[in-house]
Amino acid sequence: MIAQSALSWSAFALYTAAAFAALGYLFSKDARVSRAMLVLLTLGVVLHAAAVAVHAAAFWAYPENRWFLPLNNFYGALSYMAFALAAAFLIVEARNRLGILGAFVLPGAALALGAAVILADPQVQPLETPLRSYWLNLHPVLLMTAYAAFANAAGVAVALLIQERQIKSRKPTELCYRLPSLDELGGLNAKIVASAYPFLLAGLVMGFVWAYRDWGRVWTADPKLTLSVLTAAVYGMFLWQHYAGGRRGRRTVYVSLAGFASVLVTFFGAELLSGRHSYLGGGR
Amino acid sequence: MKLLLLGWSHRASAAASREALAAVPVERVLAELKSRGVAEAVVLSTCNRFELYAASTPDAPPARESLLNALSELAGADVRADAEAREDAAAVAHLFGVSSGMDSLVVGETEILGQLKTSYEAAKAAGMTGKRLNVLFQRALYVGKRVRSETGIASGASSVPSVAVQLAESIFGRLEGKSALILGAGAMAELAVKHLVARGTARITVANRTWERAYALAARFHGEAVRWDAAAEALVDADVVIASTGAPSAVVTRAMVAAALRRRGGRSLFFIDIAMPRDVEESVHELDGVYLYRLEDLESIVAKNMSERAGAIAAARAIVQAKAAEFDAWARSLSSGRELSLRHAPRSIQS
Repeated sequence: MIAQSALSWSAFALYTAAAFAALGYLFSKDARVSRAMLVLLTLGVVLHAAAVAVHAAAFWAYPENRWFLPLNNFYGALSYMAFALAAAFLIVEARNRLGILGAFVLPGAALALGAAVILADPQVQPLETPLRSYWLNLHPVLLMTAYAAFANAAGVAVALLIQERQIKSRKPTELCYRLPSLDELGGLNAKIVASAYPFLLAGLVMGFVWAYRDWGRVWTADPKLTLSVLTAAVYGMFLWQHYAGGRRGRRTVYVSLAGFASVLVTFFGAELLSGRHSYLGGGR
Repeated sequence: MKLLLLGWSHRASAAASREALAAVPVERVLAELKSRGVAEAVVLSTCNRFELYAASTPDAPPARESLLNALSELAGADVRADAEAREDAAAVAHLFGVSSGMDSLVVGETEILGQLKTSYEAAKAAGMTGKRLNVLFQRALYVGKRVRSETGIASGASSVPSVAVQLAESIFGRLEGKSALILGAGAMAELAVKHLVARGTARITVANRTWERAYALAARFHGEAVRWDAAAEALVDADVVIASTGAPSAVVTRAMVAAALRRRGGRSLFFIDIAMPRDVEESVHELDGVYLYRLEDLESIVAKNMSERAGAIAAARAIVQAKAAEFDAWARSLSSGRELSLRHAPRSIQS
């Protein structure tokens, strides 16, 4: 318990420091700041992985939890998302060398883990009977993976809007030459959304199947469910506009950001309204 | 070590001497100096400066008078009076300042690094460099690069065409495979096209009221010339449009661009209007995904970049001074027998 708390607080501190380094790099040209960001972030991911392992070990200490992933509460979910977010950024960075985008992505990772360590209760309990299902290993994991990728895409989209404004202003600052081009940012945004979208759909379908198995019907009047379908519809519209309609630029970016807003409402807001998905009741 | 620098720069009122000296091939200068017994010398000859760096041991300093006489003979003119002379640490600091672009007409320009390298290699090939000048010039190149990366002295583009290319790259990323439409076939347009083509812009289309001029300009860039009335249609395919016609009123209207946009699949469109009076209606800039830059927009970006560069000179000078002092200490240590080590690291003097 103490080990887990120390590890996750340290990881939170490292993510926060990495986020500040990323913001610093945005306004200074110093490549050392960017390297520092990568080192801090990598260390953070390692410590975070250790914290997740300790958390999982405590969770699995209950025999009835043995075969399930510890994602049943607010802490587990947020912690997993922060981890996925940071890890996804490291992958994008390794492939595209766009360290400058850290400024738009890492604050999200720091906030997610911060919410986990500050607001959520890491206490583990035996799973309630209805949750003891293999679907628990699939349905939330797929959705949260998609959400973490969408958070990355939203960071890229914000960078795109800033770049667009820079060029439209006719008075571009240093930032304009340091951010990737409009075309690159637009392409990256769509690519990330496109690769996360199947996870979102699969996660939703798994939810439907699980619901059908347990309750005998697919659709329930659940706000979280309705919002998830809305999210899928908005991102679907964005992908259709981008790939089928060949639309680019500011307006379509707004659609992808609306998709992310829907993700945020689904993940945080629906807790207040939803009964069935109240596993996030682990908040203090 | 004794280092002597004789220079005729763009600053001093030495234009006549500089021109006379610049006419002499560097190889000939080096050969002449060698035959007169000069052991180590590097000659830097560009359109803006002529500089001779000569080195020798402390007991046999390079004779300033004989060097000046030799250069006067080579140039076929008396260049002695307007030479600027510097010695040792001052000469080293000057060279590092030159390599950093602090002394250039366009502050921070990078061409001087290549010119320095060529000069040094010519001297080396002529067998005119020993340990001291080898280290000095390698050091100068290193300081030049370092000053540019650590200060803002080379930040921002320094000419209208290069600002235009930089903006195009901020919109499209790599320009390979992009297409440019040229409206009007003036000299300014040609200069801008040259920059775009150098960055990989693949397809050039030229539209001009006089077909022959459009054809001639297109041929020079392996492009395609189209009739003037086909220009509106050509907007559909273009990524960058450079407008420089002599038309009395706008030739590209908002309605034309809006119509083209519907068939462009959302691709961005970048207008560069260098015509006076303007070729492109100002309201085109309000359209989504369309960016219109006029000549004065580009000029004010250049002006801002240049003032930022000028603001970085103090920081550049501090690095140059520190590096010059470091080199001077090393050069002195050569004759004392206990050689200091000189590394390309931040703290490079260790005894």
